[in-house]
Amino acid sequence: MSIFRSHKASADRSASDRARHKQKIDKAIRDGVTDIVADESIIGQDGKKKIKIPVKGIKEWQFIYGDNEGQKAVGSAPGQDVQKGQVVKKGQQQQGSGTGKAGKDKGEEFYEVEITLDELAEYLFASLNLPDLDRKRFKKLLDEKPRKHGTRTTGIRPRLDKKKSAIQRIKRINSARRDAEEAEEISTSFHEEDLRYYHIDSKPKESTNAVVFFAMDVSGSMTQEIRFLARSFFFLLYQFLRHKYEKTEVVFISHTTEAEETDEDNFFKKYSSGGTHVSSAPILAQDIIMKRYHPSSWNIYYFHCTDGDNWSEDNETAVKSILDLSGICQLLGYVEIIPPKTRPDWDTGAGSLYNKIKKIEGPSLKTAVIESKDSIWPVFKSFFGGLPDV
Amino acid sequence: MSDWSFEELTQWDDRICQIAKGYGLDWFEISYETIDYHEMIGAMSYHGLPSHYAHWSYGKSFERTHGMYNMGLEGLPYELIINSDPSIAYLMVENPLYLQILIMAHCVGHSDFFKNNRTFRDTDPARAPIRFRSARNRIQSYIEDPSIGIEKVESIIDACHSIQYQIDRRGRTRLPEKQLRREYEQKIKSDGTGKYKNFNIDKLPLEPEFDVLKFLVENGRRLADWEKDIMDIIHEESHYFMPQIRTKVMNEGWASFWHYRILHDLELPDAYHLPFLKTHNQVLRPWGLRINPYHLGFEIFKDIEEKKGLDECFFAREIDSDESFIRRYLTEDKARDLNLFTFSSKGRKNPDWTVDDIVDETGWNEVRSSLINQVGGNSIPVIYVDDVEKDTLILRHEHDGRDLEIDYADRCVKNIVELWKGPVKLLTHLEGEDFEIS
Repeated sequence: MSIFRSHKASADRSASDRARHKQKIDKAIRDGVTDIVADESIIGQDGKKKIKIPVKGIKEWQFIYGDNEGQKAVGSAPGQDVQKGQVVKKGQQQQGSGTGKAGKDKGEEFYEVEITLDELAEYLFASLNLPDLDRKRFKKLLDEKPRKHGTRTTGIRPRLDKKKSAIQRIKRINSARRDAEEAEEISTSFHEEDLRYYHIDSKPKESTNAVVFFAMDVSGSMTQEIRFLARSFFFLLYQFLRHKYEKTEVVFISHTTEAEETDEDNFFKKYSSGGTHVSSAPILAQDIIMKRYHPSSWNIYYFHCTDGDNWSEDNETAVKSILDLSGICQLLGYVEIIPPKTRPDWDTGAGSLYNKIKKIEGPSLKTAVIESKDSIWPVFKSFFGGLPDV
Repeated sequence: MSDWSFEELTQWDDRICQIAKGYGLDWFEISYETIDYHEMIGAMSYHGLPSHYAHWSYGKSFERTHGMYNMGLEGLPYELIINSDPSIAYLMVENPLYLQILIMAHCVGHSDFFKNNRTFRDTDPARAPIRFRSARNRIQSYIEDPSIGIEKVESIIDACHSIQYQIDRRGRTRLPEKQLRREYEQKIKSDGTGKYKNFNIDKLPLEPEFDVLKFLVENGRRLADWEKDIMDIIHEESHYFMPQIRTKVMNEGWASFWHYRILHDLELPDAYHLPFLKTHNQVLRPWGLRINPYHLGFEIFKDIEEKKGLDECFFAREIDSDESFIRRYLTEDKARDLNLFTFSSKGRKNPDWTVDDIVDETGWNEVRSSLINQVGGNSIPVIYVDDVEKDTLILRHEHDGRDLEIDYADRCVKNIVELWKGPVKLLTHLEGEDFEIS
């Protein structure tokens, strides 16, 4: 004789352990977000587009056997013809973990998680860990003329909202009719209590348009690797900003000693011989801003990636043009991308132009050096987070 | 929605119990709980235990099972029963009556096995649910303790889970270190041969310690009480589950053997009998590239009964574990009948998996030893504490031709460092060479 009982449905017992697991996944995704490989085109994707990001597995580590030669598994296939040497399972290709990070990530297992670009931006934002106050500074506040904003029951005659008042009158009559005894007289003229007046407000309006300038040196010294880093950086920047504004336009400026506006494809592919005048790009950007994106109605962002190999004759002009431009930008970021191995021996790091610009850094002008993929995220954080790296 | 009532379950259960008693089965009373699909996955995530400490890995386990079920990759288990007295078993309300009958018969087999198999001797099934509840409450109190908190608790549990099955599998009892020391002192005193001339009586441990977690609890010098308690809890749980790991093939085989027998004796109406046969064949089908423990165990028990009688089956269920069971009872003929074979991948250049041995004059021994290598917990590498040099804990891997997965071993060693709170070294072989992880 056994006992039977109907289980008393208790609270979902694994709920908190599931929540805890999800927290861990979320964190892994956030960490992975900064590791995305930007082989997507930067613009022209809508937020629903999915991208893959590598996420560190939430693994439970135990001692297990590897698969060295001589380890045999056992199978059982009654009634089938099994011959020695017969292939029973196709071998898997060696799978790399991540991108070019073999060796370093020993013990890390990656799996890919698909998220939409919108989610990506959310994760980026979450990773910045911004206090509310700082969030606001992404949008420029424009002073607005006073405007109508709702209605009130008191006001001056010129601000009478005739339509709302008429509606109020009808409402009052209808409700009186419902409540009234049959023969009761109902007043159908306007009463004082029906009248509504416009409320005038001078709340400043947020500008919801943004234009992002991506400027890059395309001289011969900009190697594939540097461009790849620039691209990844630009990609994160764009996804992040796109999420903050209703409308985000992008302008690509490539430059050698002269700057020109170009499209995304050419921007990353084009190689030009010739020297480098960093100043050419911010000057062109100024020009474009005045013609198409007036600072009074656009939030302007400008990011400049170079290998720092500027011609010294241009340094003065470059510093001045960048300082000028930063005056009308929400943020101007000057980034030198210098992979350690491409750095000449005699060079001790960032070039002299970098140091000059660093001296004039301010809330809307930031400088940074990117050495490898790993430094993209810290730089991104230093641009937008404004908080010490944790 | 269900085609059965509690009265019906009780009636069928009476008949099942009667038949089982007639055969001499001797099981704990079974307490069946009816639960829905969601609760079933929940129960599975915690190994069926009515209460269990919280840890994110059980949430992960829930999601994985739930996901696989939704994708149709995995059916839910038909049965879930725990080793307790009374044995707690679950019946999913969505199951049709014939399936409940099958499960109840199957559970009788499991419970009989829990009660009688030698490896389960020290599991104290009467107190199991209470112990797990107490463990849950203690860990919960550490999580809620503001001076400890979930992060710290989790990281200790993570670390313990890394080595939870690094306990003695054979159930050998090892003398406490003090007693061992006394014995060795005796040996040294009465040493006529000079064998113990250079023996270091201060060595810790004096003999290899296979119970890594226990060693860490007893000899860790920088552990807080709550940390020791968590380590004890996990150690105890491993002890509780190890017999099930060691007898998976037998246990499932035995339960299947009996549900098959009992359901035949019940003389079910066709409307139940045909779906029962279908389910039975589904559960007991060979899996091709993996060994289905239900199938293998069932076939061996059937074979024993045919050749040596039912008494021998009862004898095996009492004294064997998977390893000895296969060694003693899996005959070459039966293995050929099951068409067992070994296969392996041939390195990086030729990654395809090809068949190495089949059951014939040359291959049978190899097939058998490969099979034994992957049953009864033998698929878990053996790691033991060899020594403590200064502050460094020296672990060794008992290498049997199979290399460790180094990435995993590396992470486990890091976790052990967290428990030892000092340097840890693991010695093993990799591709024929000595290899050290620290």
